[in-house]
Amino acid sequence: MRKKRSKLERGEALTGYLFILPQMAGFLILVLVPLIMVFTYSFESRNLLFGNMGFTGLDNYKTLIEDDLFFMTLKNTIIFSLGVVPLNLVLSLALALYLGANAAGAKVVRSVIFLPVITSGVAWAIVFTYLFQGGEAGPINYLLAQIGITGPNWLHEKGWAMFAVVVSRVLKNLGTNVLIFMGAVMNLPQDVLEAGRIDGATKPILFWKIKLPLLMPSILMVMIVTVIGSMRVFDTIKLMTDGGPEGSTMVLVYYIYHQAFRTFNIGYASTIAVVLFFIVLLLTILQWALRRRASYYED
Amino acid sequence: MRSSLKMRVICMLLSLFMLIVPVVAGGSTESKAAASSGPVHIKIATWTSNPDQIALLQSFVDEFAAKEGIEINAEFESIEFGEYNTKLSLELQGSQAPDVFWVLETSAPAFIASGLLAPLDEALAEYNPEDFSAKAMELWQNGGTTYAVPFSTSPFFMIYNADLFAAAGIETPDQLAAEGNWNWDTFRAASKAIKDATGVWGYQTVDGGGYDVRILHNLCPIIRSYGGDAWTNDGQILINSPESAEAVQLFHDMVYVDGSVVPPGDQSDFFSGAAAMTAAQVSRVSKLSDVDFAWGVAPMPAGPMGDVPVTGQAGIGAYSKGPNVEIAKKLVAYMTNEECVARMAGIWPPARYSVLESPDFLTSQPLLTADQMAAAVGGSIETGRVLPSHVMYPQIEVESRIVWDRLWNPNADVQAVLDGVAEVYAKYIK
Repeated sequence: MRKKRSKLERGEALTGYLFILPQMAGFLILVLVPLIMVFTYSFESRNLLFGNMGFTGLDNYKTLIEDDLFFMTLKNTIIFSLGVVPLNLVLSLALALYLGANAAGAKVVRSVIFLPVITSGVAWAIVFTYLFQGGEAGPINYLLAQIGITGPNWLHEKGWAMFAVVVSRVLKNLGTNVLIFMGAVMNLPQDVLEAGRIDGATKPILFWKIKLPLLMPSILMVMIVTVIGSMRVFDTIKLMTDGGPEGSTMVLVYYIYHQAFRTFNIGYASTIAVVLFFIVLLLTILQWALRRRASYYED
Repeated sequence: MRSSLKMRVICMLLSLFMLIVPVVAGGSTESKAAASSGPVHIKIATWTSNPDQIALLQSFVDEFAAKEGIEINAEFESIEFGEYNTKLSLELQGSQAPDVFWVLETSAPAFIASGLLAPLDEALAEYNPEDFSAKAMELWQNGGTTYAVPFSTSPFFMIYNADLFAAAGIETPDQLAAEGNWNWDTFRAASKAIKDATGVWGYQTVDGGGYDVRILHNLCPIIRSYGGDAWTNDGQILINSPESAEAVQLFHDMVYVDGSVVPPGDQSDFFSGAAAMTAAQVSRVSKLSDVDFAWGVAPMPAGPMGDVPVTGQAGIGAYSKGPNVEIAKKLVAYMTNEECVARMAGIWPPARYSVLESPDFLTSQPLLTADQMAAAVGGSIETGRVLPSHVMYPQIEVESRIVWDRLWNPNADVQAVLDGVAEVYAKYIK
């Protein structure tokens, strides 16, 4: 039989609910309601200029299946993520290991790496647009010219444009991941490492066989956050390439923006947003499952 | 113990109250303001942020308020050109909608069809509507009803850096025009000669956006003077016609064979002296007041079809669902009356005959002489054609941009790219 709560317990429970009420109200109003609206809109022919033109069932989803641009943007999103995620993880882990070892100049390097994180995304993208200018007007191409290399028109040539936005994005967000990894590196159990050293483990063995497995929970957590972040990239694309050239940097979120606010097709944009929601959800579930398998010591 | 629990509950309720009150109050302020008999709040959305231009518009609002015997609290919202339609359309669906707003020519059919623009004929009747050029009004009317008024009907013309022409030792565009030799071939030759002689770019596309956001502003003047077009009002798609292809090939060769045009991705700007020529409109002339080089103006070059002026238009309309729609309609009509239009003429060339034909018009832009104004604008307002528009223009623009991008590499097959663009156009233009 369920024990009846005392007045005091009820009062404390009420206090607890009141404390979380503002947060819950924010979540309901700003997350859950819009989410439900997006799901609803995805079944409607809704236009930003013309309003709601009625329930259309699965028509938007049928359009999506036949939409070459959608599949192109999905492919671009995967390419972008495949560029950003491994590069970000490898670089941030390497830097964290370097900085965690209290190497020379660690403080300066740490500050330099973290500076982009606190810089405005817009300012960052504008600076990189300038750096990646075509011809010799761009500083990067100017430097390349000094060593006899003719640089491409970075943001206006297919292939190079994606490379440029990936580089810009990786450098922008590197600092956050370095900080997370540094925390993990500094908390590595010294006794385990010491035991490894006594047993004659070389530095590479120490890294591959001891440090890396111990860091795996942090690596997977950072990977989930970075993958989700890369799937939602917007400002870098908007400011550096506007999705071009030839749509080669048009990623899913930017395509949603195009459909919703450039062609005013809110209904169809919501359909793509729903698909993106499920893609991110699926990836997150997969990665959580992987986290449990790969982290041998995690409950 | 009990009293401390009570205190905690009271504190929580108070903090919740503080959270909710501003939200509720925020919502009710508007209704209170609307209900009171205080000043009428009119929000006006534009894409200019030039303080002089905003001040001019503000003076029209003040005069209108005095005429009507009401108090108007005008709020001007300057939205960046590239984001104008996006932000405006969002605002029109929410509670922050402007009462009066500018409309881009390319999106005029979509805005008219959406019903967001209020009919203006009744309000315009007070200010001699017959004075408007029928040709200039075409785009802004549907079924005989006027939904917006073109406050600017502005032909494109060429501004050039006279110092760079002198340095290259070649004739200036207005000299060539006076001799009847100002055409796309001599334009190309001049652009290349300047690049070869000075190392400075010969030409910068309109606002530097000729490869993306202003691609039709950039290519239409050339294409039309070669006898081509993007599409026609009766649904003919001409962008891949031989005439259009020849015109686009000329521009492509200037960029990639001659290397005389500021290329895609390069931020060199005419007004900072980094290019010798650029296509512009009267509203851009004010930027010349700060330049440190001698400059001149000339009409756009002629093509095989002769002079085929292209005009850019901008309209002003009233939001049909706004709380102040009646005042907004009257305000739009007032702002486009003969007197206001005459005062705007030096920035935004008018569509009213009475102003166009007045001798004052040619001296309305302080930076341009009457001769320069005649060369730049002249009869082009009446003879020029506006840029192509369509009710599905937003979709056309987004999809065709991806195909247009293929043009901007040295090995592009111009005809194949234009065929691709025509295919996109055909999806929407019947």
